[in-house]
Amino acid sequence: MWTMAFKLKSRMTWIQVLIVVIFCLVAVFLTAHDDSLYSEPIFQVTKVTNGKVTKMSDEFHNVDYYHQQLLSGHITNGKYAGKHLKIQNAYSNSGAMDHQYRTNQKLFIVLHTSPKLHATVKDLKRDTPIIFLLALAVSLLFIILKFRGVTVISSIVINTILFWLAVKIDHHNNGAAVIPIFSILAVIFCIITLFLVMGWNRKMLVTLSAVISATAITILLTLLVFGVTHEKGMYYESMQYVTQLPKPLFLAEVLIGVLGAVMDEATDIVASLATLKQERPELSKLQVFNSGRQIGKSIMGPLINVLFFIFMAETLPMTLLYLKNGNTWKYSFSMNMSLGMTSSLISGIGIVLTVILSSLFAGLLIKGDER
Amino acid sequence: MGSLTALGALLLILMIIVGGKQGISSFLSMVINFGILFFSIVLIAFHLPPIAVTIVASVILLSITIFWSSASDNASTTAFQASVMILIILIVIIIPIEYWARVGGFGLEDSEELEGLSMYVGISFTKLAISTAILSSLGAIAEASIAIASGLDEITIQHPKISSSQLFLDGIVIGKQIIGTAVNTLFFGFFGSSMGLFIWFYGLNYSFGDIINDKVFAAELIAIIISLIGVVLTIPGTTLMMSHRLKKIQDKEKSESGK
Repeated sequence: MWTMAFKLKSRMTWIQVLIVVIFCLVAVFLTAHDDSLYSEPIFQVTKVTNGKVTKMSDEFHNVDYYHQQLLSGHITNGKYAGKHLKIQNAYSNSGAMDHQYRTNQKLFIVLHTSPKLHATVKDLKRDTPIIFLLALAVSLLFIILKFRGVTVISSIVINTILFWLAVKIDHHNNGAAVIPIFSILAVIFCIITLFLVMGWNRKMLVTLSAVISATAITILLTLLVFGVTHEKGMYYESMQYVTQLPKPLFLAEVLIGVLGAVMDEATDIVASLATLKQERPELSKLQVFNSGRQIGKSIMGPLINVLFFIFMAETLPMTLLYLKNGNTWKYSFSMNMSLGMTSSLISGIGIVLTVILSSLFAGLLIKGDER
Repeated sequence: MGSLTALGALLLILMIIVGGKQGISSFLSMVINFGILFFSIVLIAFHLPPIAVTIVASVILLSITIFWSSASDNASTTAFQASVMILIILIVIIIPIEYWARVGGFGLEDSEELEGLSMYVGISFTKLAISTAILSSLGAIAEASIAIASGLDEITIQHPKISSSQLFLDGIVIGKQIIGTAVNTLFFGFFGSSMGLFIWFYGLNYSFGDIINDKVFAAELIAIIISLIGVVLTIPGTTLMMSHRLKKIQDKEKSESGK
């Protein structure tokens, strides 16, 4: 009996693994042959000839090597499909803005027709690895979460579409109303996400009100601190990819960034307190509040670290570049990491406030007979 | 007082109000994590191998985040072992992906900021992209493994006689409950941190093809999907470690009572 069940289980596991492998391979195959979907010309490298190597050093004594290479291959799409070309490329060992290309890679190129057809490399075609990784993640979600995977993925898809819509609306307002737009988006995000996680019931409404009020108070407190300190040490000019007024954009970024963590935590606390109150209806409001605080204090630390690592890790390459360009530690930190650190701290405040508010609301609003 | 200090002080006060001593240690763990992160960058700037520095730093960062949380000894030991295992799996996945997708370094969107900086610093930015992706997943792995390990630890305390295979099934159930919201934490973090980039894409009329092949976007997406895979793998990983541990304890008790 046991061995049979085990055999059955292991056979199912093998089938699952096989399905994942096939799914990922199909994804790779399709994106590796989607050249005709692109309007930009794509170039398939068939041969690489290495040229000369030059040693370079800059004023900060950084040593690097600059390589020339000649790429031979053909165009795979568009008007010039099948046409053979040779393209010059150069790359450095560090490869901050350039790349060494290899045979079998596909590249986006820019074609020049005068005086005769020649081309320059624009960038690598990277859809295949990206889709492969996405396929891998999606199949893992399904295998481990089974049906629940559908909810998780649909929540991500819906939220992504809404986010894109908000970006669209923001753009049409020229960024004038970035905070109102993303605050409304935040509320919609919360309603949809919490509905998918908890369903539509009293528990969900308690969680929702805790999330929204905690986030709102966080933003108000942040503005208060900014007012008192006159935003000293806020290097908005160091923000990346800014096309509109940086300060509201920064606040909107933090607002959306912290939302997931706050929902995660509030769901945990409210759900546990509802179970607790159901098992022991005699507990007073204060006792429920204190239990919530106990649960909250053990999850807040790890949760703050989740956002801390997301916000900080991405500043690494630029900070390194600053350090290698002879800047001091302090300056490199201020220009690259201080905004990430500020976001982490604001998120932390939001996460701690959520502990207080979700315990408070659960204590006040959840009744013992509530399922 | 600068805004950063003021916000830090406010956070510390709130954490003490909510968590008391635990609040202080949570705050300190973030401060020390920052120190380690910054120190790792300095080491890489001194030409130590980026991936090796990242692996050593990651193990230390995981241990600080996990052992300084308020989880019980049993839970935190299990969570640490599981998260190191997940870390190894992620490194195995991420290295070929980064060399395949080549998202290291900077994109055209960064041009303005790079003005006046020397780009030829002799450190491989592809390796640095690997470090970045690994580091950004650490918090998520640690959080998920602590949550699952604590849940399972609670079960073993209440039912010490539970079989390890039953515990494994329970672990998957707990895992499913926490994963939905843990995924949200990651994705909203991602939306928030790349909002500027999305607005940029929209404003400059990038097509879907442009975005998915864009170096900066691809780098961020890879980092977030790697974290997602890490969180998902944490469920069976932590559960496996915990049931293995339980089995060892039960076997030991059995052999002792048999004597």
